[in-house]
Amino acid sequence: MNTILIKKRTIYSLLFASLITPLFAQSTDTWKNNLAPISEGDWDYAKARHLIDRVGFGEKPKNIERFVRMGPRASVRELVYFQSIPKHLDDFDHSGIFDPGIEPFPSSRPAATKLAKETGEAIGVRVKPNGNRRLQPVVDRFFYWLRASMLETRRVAYWWANRMLLSNRPLEEKMALFWHGHFATNEEKVRDYRKLLQQNAVFREYGTGNFKELLTQVSQDPAMLDFLDAGVNIKGSPNENFAREIMELFTMGVGNYTEQDIREGARAFTGWNHRNLKFVLNADQHDSSLKTFLDKTGNWDGLDIIDMILEKPVTAEYISGKIYKFFVRENIDPALQEELASFFYNSEYEITPLLEKIFLSQDFYSSASMGTHIKSPTDLVVSTYKKLGLNVLPGVPDFHDTTQSLGQTLLFPPTVAGWAGGKSWLTPGLLLARGNFVYDTVYPDINFIPSDRYPENYQIGIVAKRLAAGADIATATQPEDSYATSASNDMVDRDEEFNTRLGSYRGWRKAIEKVKPIDRSPASIDLTKMLIEARCQSTDEAVEYLIKRFFSISIDKKTQQEITNFLTRQLGTNDLEAAKTFSEEALRETLHLLLSLPEYQLG
Amino acid sequence: MRKPHDLNRRDFLKLMGISAATGGLPQSIFPQISPLAFAGDHPLSNKILVVLELSGGNDGLNTLVPYGNDAYYKNRPTLGIKPNKLRKIDDHFGFNPDMSGMEKLYKDGNMAVFHGCGYDQPSYSHFTSMAYWQTAAPNSGESLGWMGKLADAMNPDIDPNYLVNVDATQSLAVVAKNHVPVVFDDPEEFGRKGLFKSRPLLDEDRIASDTSSQAKKRLLGLAKSARQASEKVRTACGNYKTPVDYGIAPLDLNKIAALINANMNTRLFYTSFRRNAFDTHVQQPNLHQRLLTYFSDAVSGFFTDMDRIGRADDVVMLVFSEFGRRVAENTNQGTDHGTANNMYLIGRSVQGGHYGDIPSLTDLHDGNMFHTTDFRRVYATAISGWLGLKAHEQVLRHRFNQFPVFS
Repeated sequence: MNTILIKKRTIYSLLFASLITPLFAQSTDTWKNNLAPISEGDWDYAKARHLIDRVGFGEKPKNIERFVRMGPRASVRELVYFQSIPKHLDDFDHSGIFDPGIEPFPSSRPAATKLAKETGEAIGVRVKPNGNRRLQPVVDRFFYWLRASMLETRRVAYWWANRMLLSNRPLEEKMALFWHGHFATNEEKVRDYRKLLQQNAVFREYGTGNFKELLTQVSQDPAMLDFLDAGVNIKGSPNENFAREIMELFTMGVGNYTEQDIREGARAFTGWNHRNLKFVLNADQHDSSLKTFLDKTGNWDGLDIIDMILEKPVTAEYISGKIYKFFVRENIDPALQEELASFFYNSEYEITPLLEKIFLSQDFYSSASMGTHIKSPTDLVVSTYKKLGLNVLPGVPDFHDTTQSLGQTLLFPPTVAGWAGGKSWLTPGLLLARGNFVYDTVYPDINFIPSDRYPENYQIGIVAKRLAAGADIATATQPEDSYATSASNDMVDRDEEFNTRLGSYRGWRKAIEKVKPIDRSPASIDLTKMLIEARCQSTDEAVEYLIKRFFSISIDKKTQQEITNFLTRQLGTNDLEAAKTFSEEALRETLHLLLSLPEYQLG
Repeated sequence: MRKPHDLNRRDFLKLMGISAATGGLPQSIFPQISPLAFAGDHPLSNKILVVLELSGGNDGLNTLVPYGNDAYYKNRPTLGIKPNKLRKIDDHFGFNPDMSGMEKLYKDGNMAVFHGCGYDQPSYSHFTSMAYWQTAAPNSGESLGWMGKLADAMNPDIDPNYLVNVDATQSLAVVAKNHVPVVFDDPEEFGRKGLFKSRPLLDEDRIASDTSSQAKKRLLGLAKSARQASEKVRTACGNYKTPVDYGIAPLDLNKIAALINANMNTRLFYTSFRRNAFDTHVQQPNLHQRLLTYFSDAVSGFFTDMDRIGRADDVVMLVFSEFGRRVAENTNQGTDHGTANNMYLIGRSVQGGHYGDIPSLTDLHDGNMFHTTDFRRVYATAISGWLGLKAHEQVLRHRFNQFPVFS
C-alpha cells in the first residue's frame, strides 16, 4: 500500500470517526487481563469516552472527539502527565471563621467547660468574673466552631466538586477522590475544615507522584493525626489506632502483620503530633527504646516503619490492586494483579507510570471493563452536570444533601475504611434516589430550603422565637416536647454555670453570620439549544443524540423507540425545528426518563 | 437465581395451623393476610431477626439499674435512681421507672439480658465504636456490615427483599457483598419522582437481553427489585392497620410489623433509634427517661403486635448500643462515653434471664467497667442459635461460644 493512500484513509476515518465507528463497546473479550497497550487503529469514540469517563468525570462530545483525533497514546499522556497544564481554578475562598484560640479545640463540650473552670479560659474565651452562667461564653464559642467548621467543610466539598466539574486536569481531582476514600478522614471527628482542606491539597499535590512521599505526607498530616488519635499516642501510653490502620487499610491489608507489629509500630509513632496546621515530633513523648517490627529490631521511628512497610512487596500489590479496582473493575485477575504489583514495586511506587500502563492497556478497554462500573455518587452527580455542559455546580439541589442521600458525602466518609464502593453503591432505594436526583436537577424544587441556613434541629428555632418574645433563658430553653413527663421542670437549668441549649442557639446564629452562603442558582439547562447546536432535526435524532451524550452503554432499541415516541407525543410533532419555541419542558421530561434508566448508572 | 415459588393454598393452611397451635387468632389473621402474600414471595420464613440500634451510647446502668449494688449509688449521687422508683425484676436489678413494657417482657420470660458486653481496646468515639459493632470487627477496617455478610451467608441465591434497613441512609451494618438491602425511611417517599405522562415508561418492566453484560443484568434486576420493593413497602405500610399502641416514637418497628404482616420474605431487619439520641452528656435524667419510655413502648408494642398477627414465635429482636457510659456521673447531671453495656435478645422463643458475668462497678479502668462478654458472642447466639447458620465465623471472622438462649 502506498503511503498517500494510507494518509487519505486516515483522514477519512478521522473525519467520520464518530459516525463510522461504534458509539458503544464492541466485543473485545480477548483483551481481558491483557496489559499490552491498545493500538492506534483500535481507537474510537467509545474508547475515548470510556477513558475520560474513568480518568475524569466525563466530557462533552466536542471534547471527546478531540481525544478521538489525538489517538490513545497522546490522549493518555495528556491526561496523566497533566502538570504542564496551567492551573486555572481559584483557591478555596475562606469565610474567615477561624481565629487563634480555637486551636487546639477541646475534644468535647464537657472538656471545654472543665478546662474553663480550671484555668479561667478556654477556646480563646475567658470565664465571666461574676453573675449567672459564668461559663456561657465558652459554651457559645464551642458550639459556634462545631457548627461553623461543619458548614465550612460543606463549602469545601462544594468547592472541590466544582473543581471536578471544571478542572482541565481531571485526573488530579479523580486521584484526590481516590485517596480521600483510601485515607478516609472525617469532619465529624477532625472538626476543623482547615485540616481537611490541607489534606485535600496533599492528595492533589502528591496523589499522582510517589506513594512513599504521599504516605509520609498523609501520616504527618494534622487531619490524619487527629483522626487516628496521634495526640494521645505517647511514650508509656501508646495508642494503636494509627499503627493499625496504616498497615491494615493504608498499605499491606489484613493478614500481613501481627498484633505485635501493631504494638511495636505504635511505639515507633509515639510523639507524632501537630501544632496548629504543622507536623511536630515531640521528642520527650517519643519512645526511643528498641522495637521489633516485621521481624527487624532497632530503634525505629515512624519513618523507619513506613520504609519497612514499603519494602514488603505486598504493599505494592495492595495499592496497585486498589487503584485498579477504582479505575477499571471490581475483580482483578490474580496474574494481572501480580504483573501490576511487580511493575509498581519495581518503579519504586511511582504512581503515574502505573496509571499510564493501566489506561493504555487492552484490559482497560475490554468488554469486561467498559460500561461495567457502577458510578459512585460523586461521579454520577458531577458527570451528569458535566455532560449537561454546566459551567458551575448548581446550588439547587444541594450538593451535600444530594450526595448524602445517594450514599457518598465528601469529607464525611462513614469510617476509616472509606466507602465500600462497587455493588454497595446501589440499593433499590438508592437507585430510585439516583433517578430523583435527575428529576431535582431538571425540575429544581421551588420549595427549596438550604439545609445549611435553616436549622434542621427545630428546637434551636424555638429557642430563638421564645427569646425574641422576651422569655427568660430558663423558659426559652425548656424542651419543647409537650409530652415531656411532669417531672421535666427539674431539668430546666436555673442558675447553672451555663446553658447548653442557649449555647447551641448562639453558636448556630454566629456560624450563619460568619460562613459565606453557597450560591443557590439552579442548573442552567437549555436542552433545546443543545439539540439545535447538535443539528438534531427529528425526535429520533434528539433521543439518539442524548443517549450518545450521556450513556456509556447502549439502550435496547425497543426502549429507545418508546422514549422517542413519548417525545413525539409530548411535542405534537417529530420535527424539532417546528417545536423549538416550546420544546424545553418535553425535552427535560425525556431526559429525566432517559437518565432514570438503570443503564445510566454504568460507566 | 432460584425461582421464587408462590405461597400455595396448602402452605397457607399450614400457616393457619401453626398460628392456631401457638395461640394466634386465625379468624383475625385471615383478613390481615394481604394479597401480596400470593404475589410471588417465598412462603413464610419462620425465623426473623430484627436488630434495633440505640445510637449515641445508651446509659445501660440507668436502663437496667443494679440497685442492689452500693457502688452504683456511690458513683451516681444525683443520677442514681432510688430503688422505690424502679420497676424491679429481681432483688438486684430494676428497669428505669417508665419501662413497663420491658419489665413485662422480662417477667414473661421473653427477654435475655446480656451483661458487660463490649470488646478489647474500646473506642470512645461514637463513630468508630458504632462501626465496630456494625461490622462485628472491633479495631479493624472491615467495610462490610455483619447483617450484610449474614444475608450473603444465609442466602447465596440473593433473594430480593431478604434484608431490610429502615433508615434515611443505609447503615454500615447491612452493607453486603452480594445482597441488595432494601433501604427506605418514609414508605410514602420510597418511590420514584416522575411526571404523570412519563410514569408508564418509568415504571416499565424491562428485561435484559442475552447479550447484556452482567453489570447491566444486575442493574435491571435491581431496578425491578426497587420497583417491587417500593411498591410492596408502600402497599404493605399503607394497608397496615393495627390497634396496638407503639407509643410516641415507634422507632420504625410498626413499619417492620407491616412488612412482616404482608409476608415479605425478609429474614433480617435493621433499624435504629437515630441521631445519636442517647448521647446524654448533660441534663440526663428526664431526657433519658423519656427516650427509654419510647424505646420500651415501641418494643413491647411490636411484640404485642406480633402476637396479634400470629408471628410472635418467629421473631427475635436484638438490642444494642455502641457503648455504655462511665460509671460515675459527670458534673452536668449527665454521663460521658464509657465501655461495657447490656444487650438484649427479646422474643417468645428466647429463654429469658440473665447471661454473662455482671461487671464490677469498683474494679474500673479509668472510671470504666471492664467488659465481661464479647458482644460477638451475642451475635453468634442470634446467628447460630436463632437463625440456624452454624458457621457464624463466616460472618464474625472467628468462632464464639454461644449462650444457651435458644436451646
